[in-house]
Amino acid sequence: MFLAIKEIKHEKLRYALITGMIMLVSYLVFILSGLSSGLQTLNSAAIDTWGANAIVLNKDAQLSLPQSVVNGPDVKRATDAGGAKLVQFGSLVKDTAGHKESVQVVGIDQKEFIYKGLKVENGTTFKADNQVVVSDNLKVDGFKLGDTIKFANTNISAKIVGFTKNANLNIAPVIYTSIANAQKITERPGVVNGVVFKDAKPNVSDLRTSKVYAINDFINALPGNSAQTMTFNFMIGFLLVIILIVITIFLYILTIQKLPNFGVLKAQGVATKYLVKNTLFQSFLIAIIGVGIAVILTTITALVLPAQVPIFISASYVAVTAILIVVMSLLGSLIPIREIVKVDPYTMIGG
Amino acid sequence: MANLELKNVSKVYGAGVSQLTALNKVNFSAHEGETVLIVGPSGSGKTTFLTIAGGLQTPSTGEVLINGSGYSSTNKNEQSALRLNKIGFVLQAYNLVPFLTVAEQFELVDKVKQNNMSTERFEDVLDTLGIKDLLAKYPKELSGGQRQRVAIARALYADPEYILADEPTAALDTNRSLEVMSLFNQLAHKYQKAVIVVTHDQRLEEKADKVYQIIDGEMSLLKDQTE
Ligand SMILES: Nc1ncnc2c1ncn2[C@@H]1O[C@H](COP(=O)(O)OP(=O)(O)OP(=O)(O)O)[C@@H](O)[C@H]1O
Ligand SMILES: [Mg+2]
Repeated sequence: MFLAIKEIKHEKLRYALITGMIMLVSYLVFILSGLSSGLQTLNSAAIDTWGANAIVLNKDAQLSLPQSVVNGPDVKRATDAGGAKLVQFGSLVKDTAGHKESVQVVGIDQKEFIYKGLKVENGTTFKADNQVVVSDNLKVDGFKLGDTIKFANTNISAKIVGFTKNANLNIAPVIYTSIANAQKITERPGVVNGVVFKDAKPNVSDLRTSKVYAINDFINALPGNSAQTMTFNFMIGFLLVIILIVITIFLYILTIQKLPNFGVLKAQGVATKYLVKNTLFQSFLIAIIGVGIAVILTTITALVLPAQVPIFISASYVAVTAILIVVMSLLGSLIPIREIVKVDPYTMIGG
Repeated sequence: MANLELKNVSKVYGAGVSQLTALNKVNFSAHEGETVLIVGPSGSGKTTFLTIAGGLQTPSTGEVLINGSGYSSTNKNEQSALRLNKIGFVLQAYNLVPFLTVAEQFELVDKVKQNNMSTERFEDVLDTLGIKDLLAKYPKELSGGQRQRVAIARALYADPEYILADEPTAALDTNRSLEVMSLFNQLAHKYQKAVIVVTHDQRLEEKADKVYQIIDGEMSLLKDQTE
């Protein structure tokens, strides 16, 4: 790789610029993907902690849990098949010190799997109607263990007995309480919004007004969720294409400048393979260094960002994207390489 | 004994009305230890001759023999290897890689080819060519004449049997041209190479062992001092 390295050393500025460009775009890609999964987490992290794979909702609810009402007989069939009932609604809570927060209240049954699987980090799980386990995001807003919170527009209050992690739904922190308490707050006794299952294909039949959905379909239908994911994926895809084009243009211009020299080298018997290998190596080097620095920057960013910024950087996602960027760069050298293969040493001689 | 021969070589470009015979039944030979000059006016077929002799183009008819064996029968990779090992080109321009120093131009030859000149012999070449002090410089820091001398050294370093030069003195003034030509002559004798130089500059004739002339693709021997 003698030619490749000598050229980079001789043309430091050019190669520093293109490496810097790849670095910045890669960094942008990593941060965008971090933001995408961060926002996705805010939207649906609670669902992931349940470990559910299917959900029964009212047929006409268009996959919206708060809008769904599952009728009594269907609820019975579903819970008999191992399902866990859910009551969900948005609300506003206040503690006695005046902290306020808009939340998602999720009612769960103490005999069913969501309650049993609930991981309380701090404090204990709730055991009575006037107790709640809340998202640890509420800590940031000043809520503390033992606080009494009041649900807006009701005179129902409850005591925070525990905090749980990753409890977010529809971009709001979750408050877990009993089904009975949840129904009391909404003044809709007996109303169950949905039933979730661990089993992807639960053994329920004869549902009347409801239907079994895959949990991913449900998550994708969360308000704004798929639009948001699509927007981010579109931007990331676009940036990858930009990398491809930038590398192509850069290597193409450099190659065209060197073409007469390459032609003469071919006349002198230097194998085309050798010239191609050097060009590939250059674009590999540019990409690896650019992406490498971007990964380091991303890691630093993830460490220094305040907890409120919803960025979730996943190592595996960064690794996959990094490989994609390197592949794009190698693809970007294809057109320049075609020029090298095509140049006829004969045309470079004399005149 | 090393020799390069063209037997009845013709080259026809194009077809139909635009058909052009650039070389017409050319016979030619060059042996190690001699300088052969090929002169002719512009468009007479000099470059065509050189590219066919050097294996960059195939003749329409006739054959090119290198040390007695045919050239055209080999495939592209073999031809490339043959050029690498047996032929050194010195061209009018682009002989040197712009981002390599003079010393690195030779290093590049080492990267692609084995059995290059021994350091001792090469020191001698550098002395003869007077470029020892230029080793750390980049091509753009050299004068035209220095660049041509480095190109000649590069061609010699690979230790080929033949050196083919196309208008190597085109960028040089008369004195420099004569100097480069006598260098070729000296090198051919000293290192036993066959040096073939193509030019439209008739003043170089006095420095050559053999002179051919091409006019409209017809080649004739003008002078032969090798007998
Ligand atoms: N690839 C080609 N296709 C068609 N015609 C060509 C081609 N190459 C050369 N010719 C023609 O063949 C003839 C000989 O060309 P050549 O390049 O060998 O001349 P030359 O003696 O090297 O000229 P100059 O001194 O100007 O370099 C010219 O008439 C030229 O136009
Ligand atoms: Mg010519």
